[in-house]
Formats: sequence, C-alpha cells, structure tokens
Amino acid sequence: MSTEAKTSDDLTNESRAMIDDMFARCTENAPNFAVTQDCFKTSLLKTIDKYLAAASAEQPASADVNQFLEQIQADDLFLALACANGNERAWWEFDQQHRSYLERVARHLAKTEVDAQEVIDTVYVELYGTRVVDGERVSKFSTYSGRGSLRGWLRTVIWHSLVDLHRASHDEVSLDELTENVGEGMAHASFAEAAPGGEDEMIDHIAKERYRKATVAAIESAFASLDDHEKLLLLFYHVENLKLREIARLVENEGSPLRGWFQRKSQTRNENPAGRIHESTIMRWLEKSYARVLQLFRAELAETGKLTREEIEICMSLATQDLAGNNLFRNLSTT
Amino acid sequence: MENKGQMNSQEATMQGLIGRYLRMRSAVSRDASANTPHLDNDSLAAFTEGNLSELEARPMISHLVDCSFCRHVTAELIRLDLAFADNPVISRAAETSEPSRVSAVLNGLLSKIFGTSDGAVFAHNEKDEEADKPEDPDADDSKDK
Repeated sequence: MSTEAKTSDDLTNESRAMIDDMFARCTENAPNFAVTQDCFKTSLLKTIDKYLAAASAEQPASADVNQFLEQIQADDLFLALACANGNERAWWEFDQQHRSYLERVARHLAKTEVDAQEVIDTVYVELYGTRVVDGERVSKFSTYSGRGSLRGWLRTVIWHSLVDLHRASHDEVSLDELTENVGEGMAHASFAEAAPGGEDEMIDHIAKERYRKATVAAIESAFASLDDHEKLLLLFYHVENLKLREIARLVENEGSPLRGWFQRKSQTRNENPAGRIHESTIMRWLEKSYARVLQLFRAELAETGKLTREEIEICMSLATQDLAGNNLFRNLSTT
Repeated sequence: MENKGQMNSQEATMQGLIGRYLRMRSAVSRDASANTPHLDNDSLAAFTEGNLSELEARPMISHLVDCSFCRHVTAELIRLDLAFADNPVISRAAETSEPSRVSAVLNGLLSKIFGTSDGAVFAHNEKDEEADKPEDPDADDSKDK
C-alpha cells in the first residue's frame, strides 16, 4: 500500500532483517494465526510512520528504527492482527488470555454490573468489527500498533466505551463532565472556586488590586515559560490530583519520556539511571518546578511589572493571604 | 497536597499559588479543549505505559498540557494501570473450549446487541451444525456477568 511504499524503501537491510526475525518468532509462537508476512510488515511500517517518522521532519535514522522495532510488543501485535483478520484460533486465544481482564477492568470502572456487561459486549463487537468498508470488515484491532501492550490498549478501549455508554444516556452533559463520571475522576471533580470574600480595609483597594493583577500576570507568565514536561507534571499533580505514587507509576518504565527529561535536568541519572523512581523523587521534581516558577515569577514582577523588591514581597504576602480565600484568581478568565 | 519536603516558605506559597492557578486555568479553558483532535487509544496507551521515546512523546506532551480531556483520560488510565498492577489478573486456563466455538460467542453477543443472529457478520468458518449444539459455556459466562 502507499504507506508501505513510502517507508519500506527507507528501511535498511538490517531493519528489514529485524522485521523478518520478528515475524519468524511470532509465527513460531503462534503457528495457527495465519498472519502473512506482508500484513505484519505493513502494520509495522504504518507504526513507524505514525510514531517515528511523524515526530521529526527528518527521516528516522536506522539505529532509531531498529531500537523502535525492538520495543514493539510483537506477540501482542501478531495476536491483534490475526483477530482483525477473523482467525478463529486467535480469537480463542484472545478470549482465554484477556476476557477476564476486560471484565475486571469494566467492573472496576462501571457503576453497575449491567453497565460493565454492556461495555464488554460492545467492546467485543467493536473488536471484531461490524462496519464494512470496500467489502472488508473493519476491526478495531487494526488500530492497535504494538507500541504499547495489548492490555494497556484494551484498558483505553474499555474506558472510552464506558464514556460513550454514559454519553448515550446523558445527552445534555458535556464531554468533560462525562469523563469525571467514569472512574476515580468522580472523586476529584472540584474546579470552580467559591465567590470572593470581603476586602481588607487596611490596604488601599487600588494598590491591592494592582498587586493582584501583577501577581496573576506573573504566575501566568512563569507557568508559560516552563517546559511542557514540567507543565504536565504540575497539571497531573494539581489538576488531575494524581498521587505521587501514581505519577511514579507513569515514569516507572526506564525509557519513560517524562522520566528521561527530569533525570536529565537533575544529577540522578548518572548516579542511578535505571533505579526505581520513588514518590520522594517525584516530590523533588515538583519542588524543583516550584522553585523555578518562583524564580520566573519574581523575575517577571521585577522586569515586566517594574516592581521593587519590597513590592514583590507585598505580592507574595498578598498571595499568601489570598490562598486562604479565593480573591487572587477570581478574574482569571478576564485577565 | 501530600508534603512539602524541603521547600522554603516562599516555595511552599508558590506550590499553593500554582495549584490554585492551574485549577482555575483548567476550569476556564475547558470548552476550548473539547474541539481539538484528541489522542487515539493506541497513543494514549503507549504514553501511559511510558513506552514512547522523548522524540515520539514530545507532541503528545504538548497536547496533554493544552487538552484537559486527553489529560484527564491519561490520568484515569494511570490510576487504572496502577490499580491492576497491584492486583494482577490471571488469564483463564486453556482447558475447556474449542477454538471453533468462539464464533458462537461472538454471534451470541451480536444477537444480544443487534437483535439478530443471522451470522451475516461473523460468517467466517461458520458451520450450520453450530446452531444445533448446546450453547457454549463461555457464552453463558458472558451473559451471567
């Protein structure tokens, strides 16, 4: 196909040999799945295109492609391709290996047993595929690339299916509200703040508002100046309410992109690059981010706001007081 | 939040400030993110498992910073991943079913959902005698659960 023609030519002999080896191993492990070498190769080339080639304007280097291929969950991909093709043996294997897992995930997420069972049924039908395009059945399995584990992908499919189920019965609810009604997000859905309290009569109202505006502008600017990795860590912690333990899980994989970025910024990589990431490490990353925001915040107030050192301290003091109430960010949408 | 470690008082204030700011920012910018193209299941799963390289993940991380929907999904998937890492699921032992009966399970699901069992979709390797056999134990499982 066109995707294959576009990238196949760019593969080195070594990469092609790797794909051949992967296919041989998969066929040996599952000789009855009837996946052709062409089908397997086409899928891998699509995945290289999607993840590797799309991430950079330049053609991926041979070493990058080879490393990428090494990370593919080949047996999972082989099973998914066989299921997408409707192979009976593969479906049997899939059912044996993953059905109880799917059921547990669905029960964990759904509010009722009926919802859980409905989602399982729907997911099975989606995985097989009921839509026919150009005479061919389109199975959801064909969207699995092998870049992550099949179970990780199945969790995502179940989660989305539950959101769709909820959506179908709550037409008037927004997408964000829906996502908060599935899983643990329900417990953390508190964003809007209450109305502001009374003004402090001891400080001049105009000056106070000026410092508040400068403080908000400086926070916005400081946050905007952070790298996306730092921003995401802060958002996971403060907005999504992920616990340190949960963030540690996200970066547990030694090759995790967030882990790589933060370790490069600290000295721990050289000391213990493959060590386990503990909650205390995540807290240290957060503390470094707070320190950096503070530094940027003060610089912004001094340079852009033209505030003196004493005025910056007033801003900090006001901010500390306002944290007890909700005065500081009440006009965030209009600043 | 959980602890303040070795932070000085100004950094602790900043922790509170940035937390408050981010929650408010997220609340006022939610509608905008609803219209952006979201990450697909495959990308979300690969990112959540930490399987992507920094190069591959860079555009996704940028997206997650701006898109509250995908960020929320990702956070839920991280929780789910951890929940099931603590309680691994054992696969069923491969002892009873015959491979050929899977189509019966699928057809059972199809008839439950679409009210038909004509086998139009799951037509591969179907045999007429399948319909005369007692229902598959797996199919019973699926209905009881």
